Amino acid sequence: MPSATLLGQSLLSGIFIGGLYGLLGLGLSLSWGYLRLINLAHFALAFLGAYLTYQLAGVAGMHILLAVLIIVPAFFVLGVAMQWLFTRFSVGEFASLLVSFGMTVIIESAIQWLWTADMRKLQLEQGTVSLQVGTLFVPVTEALMFAVAAALSVATWAWLRFTYVGKAMRASAENPEIAAAFGVDHRRLALLLSGVAAAYAGVAGTFVAVIYTLSPAQIFAWMGVVFAVVILGGLGNPLGVLVAGLVIGVSESMTMAVIAPTWAPLVSFTLLILVLVLRPDRI
Amino acid sequence: MRWQYRAAAFVCVAAVFAALPAFRPPAFVESFLYLVFFWVALATSWNVLSGYSGYFSFGHGAFYGTGTYATAVLATRYEIPFVWTLLAAGLMAALLGVVIGAVVFRVRRLRGELFALLTLAVTYVVATIVLNTRIDGGPGVFLSGVSPPKLYPNAGSTIYVFGVGIAFASLATAWAVQYSRLGRGLFAIHDDEDVAEVLGVPTFRFKLAALALSSFLAGVAGGIHALFVTYVTVSETFAVTVPVFVILMSVLGGARHWLGPAIGAAFITALSYAFVSGDSAVASRALVGLILILVILFLPHGVMGFAASRWRLFRPQLPEANDAAAPEQRPAAPGRAAGAVLLSCDNVRLGFRGVQALAGVSLEVREGEILGLVGPNGSGKSTLVNAISGYYRPDFGRILFAGEDLVKKDAHRIARLGVARTYQIPRPFLRLSILENVALAATFGAAALDRKAAHREAGHWLRFVGLAERSSALPSELNLHQRKFLELARALACRPRLVLLDEVLSGLTPAEITSAVALVREIRRRGTTIVFIEHNMRAVLELVDSLVVLNYGEVIAQGLPREVVRQQDVVTAYLGAAHA
Amino acid sequence: MKSTRQGVSAALFAAARGFVTALALGVLGLTAAVPAGAAPSGPPIRIGATLALTGPLASTGFVHKIAGEVFVEQINKKDGLLGRPVEWVVLDDQSKPDLTRTLYDRLITADKVDLVVGPYATGPILSAMAVAERHGKMLIHNSFGIPKLAKYDMQFPIYSFGMEPEQTFPNTLLDALAASGKAPGTVAIVTSKFPSVHFLSVGAREVAKKRGLRELLYLEFEFGNRDFGAIAARVRDADPDFLWIGSVGLEGNMLLEALKKLNYSPKIHFHLYPAPAPLALAPEGQNALSLTLFEPHPPFSRFPEAEEFIKLYRERAVKANLAYPEADMQAALQYATWQVLRAAVTATKSLDDKVLAQWIRNNRVDTVLGTLRFSGAGNYGDDLSKVKQVQNGKWVVVWPKEFAAPGVKLLMP
Repeated sequence: MPSATLLGQSLLSGIFIGGLYGLLGLGLSLSWGYLRLINLAHFALAFLGAYLTYQLAGVAGMHILLAVLIIVPAFFVLGVAMQWLFTRFSVGEFASLLVSFGMTVIIESAIQWLWTADMRKLQLEQGTVSLQVGTLFVPVTEALMFAVAAALSVATWAWLRFTYVGKAMRASAENPEIAAAFGVDHRRLALLLSGVAAAYAGVAGTFVAVIYTLSPAQIFAWMGVVFAVVILGGLGNPLGVLVAGLVIGVSESMTMAVIAPTWAPLVSFTLLILVLVLRPDRI
Repeated sequence: MRWQYRAAAFVCVAAVFAALPAFRPPAFVESFLYLVFFWVALATSWNVLSGYSGYFSFGHGAFYGTGTYATAVLATRYEIPFVWTLLAAGLMAALLGVVIGAVVFRVRRLRGELFALLTLAVTYVVATIVLNTRIDGGPGVFLSGVSPPKLYPNAGSTIYVFGVGIAFASLATAWAVQYSRLGRGLFAIHDDEDVAEVLGVPTFRFKLAALALSSFLAGVAGGIHALFVTYVTVSETFAVTVPVFVILMSVLGGARHWLGPAIGAAFITALSYAFVSGDSAVASRALVGLILILVILFLPHGVMGFAASRWRLFRPQLPEANDAAAPEQRPAAPGRAAGAVLLSCDNVRLGFRGVQALAGVSLEVREGEILGLVGPNGSGKSTLVNAISGYYRPDFGRILFAGEDLVKKDAHRIARLGVARTYQIPRPFLRLSILENVALAATFGAAALDRKAAHREAGHWLRFVGLAERSSALPSELNLHQRKFLELARALACRPRLVLLDEVLSGLTPAEITSAVALVREIRRRGTTIVFIEHNMRAVLELVDSLVVLNYGEVIAQGLPREVVRQQDVVTAYLGAAHA
Repeated sequence: MKSTRQGVSAALFAAARGFVTALALGVLGLTAAVPAGAAPSGPPIRIGATLALTGPLASTGFVHKIAGEVFVEQINKKDGLLGRPVEWVVLDDQSKPDLTRTLYDRLITADKVDLVVGPYATGPILSAMAVAERHGKMLIHNSFGIPKLAKYDMQFPIYSFGMEPEQTFPNTLLDALAASGKAPGTVAIVTSKFPSVHFLSVGAREVAKKRGLRELLYLEFEFGNRDFGAIAARVRDADPDFLWIGSVGLEGNMLLEALKKLNYSPKIHFHLYPAPAPLALAPEGQNALSLTLFEPHPPFSRFPEAEEFIKLYRERAVKANLAYPEADMQAALQYATWQVLRAAVTATKSLDDKVLAQWIRNNRVDTVLGTLRFSGAGNYGDDLSKVKQVQNGKWVVVWPKEFAAPGVKLLMP
């Protein structure tokens, strides 16, 4: 019988990776939900952000916060540019899959060109520090990441719910023509949202750099799970994506603690299937 | 007659490819072409379900992987001959598909991205089971001792021929489906599944059939591929490549045409293969990405979509007016009260989460009459129509139509019995032409006509509503008035005994209303019973033989129009208490 | 006017021909530099191979590419092979076994290379082996992880860890631990289910049991697992004397990091196939053990051509911006492949696969890995596997003692 400490520690671990899933999925969920674009390049952007963090904070020795301050706005601009491209060519939902796949391949190649296929690790002295809470250990970086993920989710939700821009965005997504009749400029909003989504990718990438070792091929490793999280949470639902991430992360982690790690995907995805089929509404 | 020539040409092309090894080309030509055919098979099989019906599956990897492992395990551990393992591979994959479909297709919410998610989840589940049980267990399965039947002296050539076989089998299937009843139903499902069901398309069965075909073909392709790679591992087989690439290939080539995915598959495979020089591997990969982007930016509907729009290849034309035999005329029933009861609702109740939309509705519709159904907004008129036509299932009560209780029936069966409806906001199938929209109803409705007869019937009804000149246009090119008439034509092409017209006059100009009213009269004259939901009281009083008034889900009055409108509670319901 | 047109069309034709030639050359993947005014002359001997230059296996694929290029460059500076220059035709198999098969078909039947050598990693090698067998070509390969699957009689494994590494290697490892005086009493095994790793871990489990170690924990995780938190918690709870991590690439790192976050350092930890750089450079990688056939220090550096190889490899690796520019096992495996090839060709003065295969089977070759022989079952020879350890940010061999780096011994906690 696994001990309470083991269960508690695994629960924490699941929560943290769930937070990362949510953070990675947040931008994707927004652009899929509101812009009707399936942006595979989101993953490539996240990893580009990770590599840039590695370069700035690791190789160039910059302070990590400074690196973040550089990366996030730069990615916002990148996101705006991508959306401009999509709009200029009137790319529809399924065509966007192809275009973004092409972009992913290009970004991956650029990453491999600049940093080789070798594995790169950003070593921070504070990277693996943990706080001890009772018998449990809380790794600081992961906790920080989860806090950021939660904060961004809630902030995005609030932004969409309460601000004019947010409401305009939601109206525009539901019915662009009617919203336009009320003065909502869909194109500007789309650019803004795309920039925000890309900025979120950059933030996610920063944490990935601190927590994981990087290699270009990993871009594809996260796609399956994060896609699942995004759809499960409801497209465009910033709180939902975090909750969905937690569901999958925790179910996997607890399976690893109690049964065997290899069965983890079975449990989490069977759970997902049951939720979808049996519950009248998704999360 | 033409399709026989096309079929012969198809078989010839397949034979040429199959005979290629006899010309002793370098082995790599066979290897490379095999890869192309492999992806053609996978992409085409995916498209049969997902491209045609719009149910985008992220789970093609599960079917392909099932087939791969079926062959791998049966051929090595049980020493079953290769060809039989292929059959097993296809059947097992199809079984998996049917089980998934049987569960998922019944649940109305699970469409669009939720279906994609579900199929993705199934892939993970299957992969994990394979990895953790004796099927693979970890070390992978090595097919070194397995040899295919000796079609050619060279095993590689034989595998190539199998590849040709499955590719052309997939293409033939996709082609046959596209031009069959199944295909037309799938395309309708793509555009608007609920409307398709109500028009008589057996959506559940059709989706299941498409999924079964799709997964069978993918399973067989997987089985053949097991022999090609010789060493089968879970991480390679269930990688995210297969699900993503089949989507990319189909979208690139055009997902609405049977040849589209093949074009996309050939293009992408050739592209990945073209740049394999060791020198500039990384730059080549970037170039591949760039080319993909450029192609789709300039051909947003895929290659076949571009071809179709440029050359207007695939729009059936309206058959000539004179050879259209007029549809059977039912004897014009006398106007009032003389007909037998055709439809009766008996205490029908239907609630949605706290709102009781129908609170015990009972009414009768007699054969040959026009029954008006009126009431304030929110009184339950459209809900009643939805209940009768089968979109909603009442919680309680009976709806008898020609002696049968409709309550427990699927909507498509109700359509077959002879019930048709129009929608308040027209819901045409946007990607089908006007003619195809109406022909679909003729094919799947009570009339159940074959393709040629359906087109004739459609032509007839389009002439009836005055849309004959626009028959090859798309619905988006019509204005509201025309779309309403399209709705009408579509409903009538089913040759229904009862047609439910849901606010067919709303949004029309007075002149248009007049012509619409005339049409409605003509419809009744030809023998169809009509339930006429309207707000326009002038038209109602002109047309209807008897009037039912609904309020808050209950019938508050039923009878002759002139009398009903003077009733106290009717006036109160409409105009408020002060006017009583 | 006519002459202008002719001139233009002639120019166009020349340009087109030049373009097609360039395209053809590009398509054929010329990599080796045509030696400039060097001693070897005549038509080049073309050796074909694919490597994973993109995709998940690319980081090690590049190591192989550099090592091979070092060899080819050196041989062309001297007399070449049989007096002719050597050209290494490398294609990118994108880490995909099915593409590997097609490309080897191409190399052999369309490009008609003289000889082929193997790609990187077990899966692709199996594909290449099947192709080689079909065309009667010899295949020398250097990174094949599952000996009992190598059934072709003209295949030769450079990765010499014996025919039954799942029995022999864990014994070697436990011998090393026992020799240090503090043999472990308990063991925990955490392994990936990656094929070439899994069977070794299963073997290790049996060997450990036979040698009387008490098994506290046995866990398998799927290849591609991202979250090691729960696994780390279970390892920490078990607190074994000896932790065997059946890892590929970064999995061992991730487990160690997860353990560190729980404030736990494993006592003795062994990683099967780690990516060398991350483990060596990470602080928690200190004292990690692994399996190797070669490290760039004596006595290996005294093996034929090793010193030069180590130096040249490092130069090129640094220039290529690799994270860990030291020539270690993977690089040496590739180099040794060429040494064997050269020895066979030079001794038999032939490019006939059957003749070469016969020679290799019956002779020994001195390489940077030591003396290789191929006369055993499945063409396997001696078990040359050794144990290495991370000490001060570098990998050094610690066992057997005669191969340990000068002054180095196995560090125990």
